[in-house]
Amino acid sequence: MTGFFAIYRREMLSLWVSPLAWVLTFVFLLLQGASFAWMVSHFGNMTDLSIDRGPVQAYFGQSIFLIVTLLLICPALTMRLFAEERRSGTIEALLTAPVTPAGVVVGKYAATLTTYVLMWAPTLLYIVILRNTGHVDWLVVAASYVGVLGTGASYLSVGLLMSAMTRSQLLAFLLTSLVVFGLFIIGVGEYIFEPGPFREICAHVSVLTQMEEFSKGVVDARRLVYFATMIVLPLFITSRVVESWRWG
Amino acid sequence: MIEVENLTKDYGTVVAVKDLSFRVGKGEVVGFLGPNGAGKSTTLRILAGFLGSTQGRITVNGFDIEQRPIEARSSIGYMPEASPLYPEMRVREYLGFRAQLKKVPRAKRADSVGRAMRQAAVTEMADTLILHLSKGYRQRVGLADALVAGPPLLILDEPTAGLDPNQIREVRSLIRDLGKDHTILLSTHILSEVESTCDRAIVIDRGRLVAEGAIEQLRAQRHSNVVRIVVRDAAAVADAALEQVEGVDDIDEAEGRDSEDGQRVLLITLKDGAVHGDVIQAAVSALEAAGVGVREAAPEKATLEDVFAQLTRAEEHEG
Repeated sequence: MTGFFAIYRREMLSLWVSPLAWVLTFVFLLLQGASFAWMVSHFGNMTDLSIDRGPVQAYFGQSIFLIVTLLLICPALTMRLFAEERRSGTIEALLTAPVTPAGVVVGKYAATLTTYVLMWAPTLLYIVILRNTGHVDWLVVAASYVGVLGTGASYLSVGLLMSAMTRSQLLAFLLTSLVVFGLFIIGVGEYIFEPGPFREICAHVSVLTQMEEFSKGVVDARRLVYFATMIVLPLFITSRVVESWRWG
Repeated sequence: MIEVENLTKDYGTVVAVKDLSFRVGKGEVVGFLGPNGAGKSTTLRILAGFLGSTQGRITVNGFDIEQRPIEARSSIGYMPEASPLYPEMRVREYLGFRAQLKKVPRAKRADSVGRAMRQAAVTEMADTLILHLSKGYRQRVGLADALVAGPPLLILDEPTAGLDPNQIREVRSLIRDLGKDHTILLSTHILSEVESTCDRAIVIDRGRLVAEGAIEQLRAQRHSNVVRIVVRDAAAVADAALEQVEGVDDIDEAEGRDSEDGQRVLLITLKDGAVHGDVIQAAVSALEAAGVGVREAAPEKATLEDVFAQLTRAEEHEG
């Protein structure tokens, strides 16, 4: 992990001094805000609310907005990480410093993950606003954020891998979107296949099913294992890819 | 400081470096010389740890670069060709990042950055975005990066490529200064660069070691075995006079070169072992005695290609 802190700091700086992170945060909050406002006005017209079918559940668990924004935000955050360094040649200076591939990969990853968390941070205000008008179960909120964090973290990990696979940022963006969208489509299979192993697999992978569970406050160990796999495996492959450039 | 044994790098379709062995001793300034595509950058990239070797053993500062890569890389200040930098960072920020990456302790970081900027003469650009720097400054920031952690060994890949003549002079004098307390290996395809900055040269061509030796030897190689004499038009007389001079093997006339105004350019090939100065002196006296006006007489300067050709031929003779 040699080199982690230096790389983490540089990536944070590079993300936030360029317009990229600000533009993405703006678009993200715009979409999330619209989604939330729509939820609130929808529920505002209802007289009778069941305990697990409130605006918090709808916002985190039943909104297609979530997947749409992640489909845009995650690949955009990760696309330049390695692709840009390899295109411009700075990767040579980076890898000839006393660093290990793991340090480089995890440093870059941690910086995007921090950025992702910072982008979500203002949405806590939505919950605070909700609380002023009614009751909010904070454990449910916490579970929802675990889901949001896990989903984003796994997409970012895939994005980092894709960025290491190509010198083109555009291609890295498209490949990541393809994987994220592919996972979403597999998840839709839950509603298509007959009950059986296929349907099980689809339900396991489905981001909608996962988020619906988290938004009801259910933190299932299987989901956490799924996230851990989706984070660690791409990161591991990425560090092997970085290592393989020495033999190119 | 650097020991390379039987280094081979095979890219699959091309063999870039073949069975290359050399050493660089502590405190030496060594020029790594070769035409474009000779395998210079590949070798330096392997030394710096950016590329892996197909075969061979390399130790840097006593550390095997495969077994103990972190220690080996910590002893090297490497400046890649064209020194790629992050455009969105300021010079000071970038060097601070590099210092942290190279494990300069936090307390010493600002000092190290300041010293490296002074050494590379980029202090006045400390707070400028790298994006806005000229090519010359970027090159020097790359050099400051190589210096920032105070490594004992500098590996510079074409440090003067793409600079204007003034900048080249500055960078060369900087390298000479650094050579006083660093071991330096620098690559170039310009012969005069090695002559002006290095103690010793390693010459490679098509991935093989062609010659290795002190600059004086190289300088001797630099004069080809041809002497160029410009005379006033007196063809037959001049030829006859020159044929009598000791050490002359062959006389050719250079066509179409400087041959206006009734001048002729003669290229005299020397016999093996003949000394330029002696032959020139004898030839000029002989021509004067024969009544031929001499305008110019000098050893024909060999181009890098000629030197390579000679070195390669010498290699074949020995082999």
